[in-house]
Amino acid sequence: MSALLQVSNVVAGYGDGPAILNGASVKVEPGKVHCIIGPNGAGKSTLLKAIVGMLRVREGDVTFKGESVKGLRPDQILRKGISFVPQERALFPKMTVRENLRMGGYSMRDKAELERRIDEIEERFPILKERRDQHAGTLSGGQQQTLSMARTMILKPEIVMLDEPSLGLAPKIVAEIFDIMRVMTDEGITILLVEQNALMGLKHADWGVVLDLGRTLFEGPGKEILNDPRIQELYLGGKKAA
Amino acid sequence: MADMVQILVLGLALGGVYALMGSGLSLVFGVMRIVNLAHPSLVMVGAYIAYWAFRLGGVDPMITLPVALVILAATGVLLYKLVFEREARSAKYSEMTVLLTFALAMVVEGALGAAFTNTQRVTSPDYATDAFFIGSVFIPKGQLYSGIVSLTIISALALFLKYSAFGNAIRATTQNRDAAELLGVNVNLVGLVSFAIGIGLAGAAGALVSFVFSFFPAKHWEWIAILMSLVVLGGMGSILGTVLAAFILSVIAAYVGFFFGATWSTLTFFVALFVVLLVRPQGLFGEKPELA
Ligand SMILES: Nc1ncnc2c1ncn2[C@@H]1O[C@H](COP(=O)(O)OP(=O)(O)O)[C@@H](O)[C@H]1O
Ligand SMILES: [Mg+2]
Repeated sequence: MSALLQVSNVVAGYGDGPAILNGASVKVEPGKVHCIIGPNGAGKSTLLKAIVGMLRVREGDVTFKGESVKGLRPDQILRKGISFVPQERALFPKMTVRENLRMGGYSMRDKAELERRIDEIEERFPILKERRDQHAGTLSGGQQQTLSMARTMILKPEIVMLDEPSLGLAPKIVAEIFDIMRVMTDEGITILLVEQNALMGLKHADWGVVLDLGRTLFEGPGKEILNDPRIQELYLGGKKAA
Repeated sequence: MADMVQILVLGLALGGVYALMGSGLSLVFGVMRIVNLAHPSLVMVGAYIAYWAFRLGGVDPMITLPVALVILAATGVLLYKLVFEREARSAKYSEMTVLLTFALAMVVEGALGAAFTNTQRVTSPDYATDAFFIGSVFIPKGQLYSGIVSLTIISALALFLKYSAFGNAIRATTQNRDAAELLGVNVNLVGLVSFAIGIGLAGAAGALVSFVFSFFPAKHWEWIAILMSLVVLGGMGSILGTVLAAFILSVIAAYVGFFFGATWSTLTFFVALFVVLLVRPQGLFGEKPELA
């Protein structure tokens, strides 16, 4: 099967600073859940930022549907069908829930269609309907994550990239977040997930990718990676010290 | 008792112009994180435009107001393109913009001094020296009109920000620039438009100020301190906060002036600035900094 999104040997860093990514590669297959794991500081967030064009890709390539998207701006990547929920959730705290959803469709020309899609999202996530006129900053952590994820669905993207959606949430809420991911895949959305909690991420993923020191170490089906002895090594620090 | 009501009325009447000056400054700060020290010097430019239009052509400052707004907005576009857009990529953005806006204020002051001397000016349409009476309380027409026009302009701005798509993009950029950009907002265009609106509002405020206060080129230094206190008390970048702060402090300043003399009246703003920074740096209406 041909890849939907292919990241090949990407080198990237912040501004003129040192390269943080040193040959990161990821292959994203349509319709599946992919999870990038790796220790803190491995460059997982940096990789997602490089894909969406927040950072310049210095070497290597990023292709979407066989076409290079390297060098495009974040808004151009978005229009291609790749949505991104960064680690810090990217909400507008003093705008209402409904206004936040509306910002999700800022790039849409047809505003009537936008309102229709927001209504649809509200039907699917009743909590967002209930809280529609409340400022996003007053929502609980789980509700904020729900809003961030639901907001990406407004544009009916092909790929949604999620950076540690479970960060700082209670286990029960984390389960809800993974339920939303299930809703997304049911809609045919492909997911590229970053998780620091490898166990949880891989359990829900079809495909796992292990990143360390800005490089892809190895990849494979989620369940296999979960039982790979090299994972133990990596997280116990054996590999890192080497 | 009548005195107390009288002072309240005078304080409120002045609050409107300060609110208008402050909301332009606040908008620019919110979007671009620039503390535009040149803002009041650009108000001064608006005041001179209104002054000369009245003196040479007998044009009412209310008529000149939209013209001043447009001229200053265009100036804002030029300044943004020539100076601030370039600085946006600088690592020392905050430091640079403080120095740049300070230098700009000096240049504007110098140019106004060279062109129009340091003589005190005031535009004097009929209403500037007239008043309404409600019982024994008098309401100076000039201040009342300037207050009403200011609030009208601010309301128009607020409606634009709340209900238009571009206004929402401006608010979104203020609250989370990266997120706005990720959703397809052209944040550079948002910066340009907000800067133009902010400077345009300075021009509009200038037309009003021209008949409310007497002015001369260096007077903007007094205003920058006053405006800083409004913006800080209002919660840095919150326009509603700035407007409320303008009315609250203007009324307090009016009472202070009545009880302790005019010199102390201006000092109210500086003391407020100092106290707010010490006690409640997020301002009266701002949320805690980590949520911003
Ligand atoms: N904005 C930034 N500027 C410079 N360096 C950064 C920035 N963000 C992250 N880094 C560096 O990039 C490296 C990888 O960080 P990150 O991608 O956030 O790791 P992860 O998401 O895997 O925990 C770290 O060494 C970090 O210090
Ligand atoms: Mg990260």
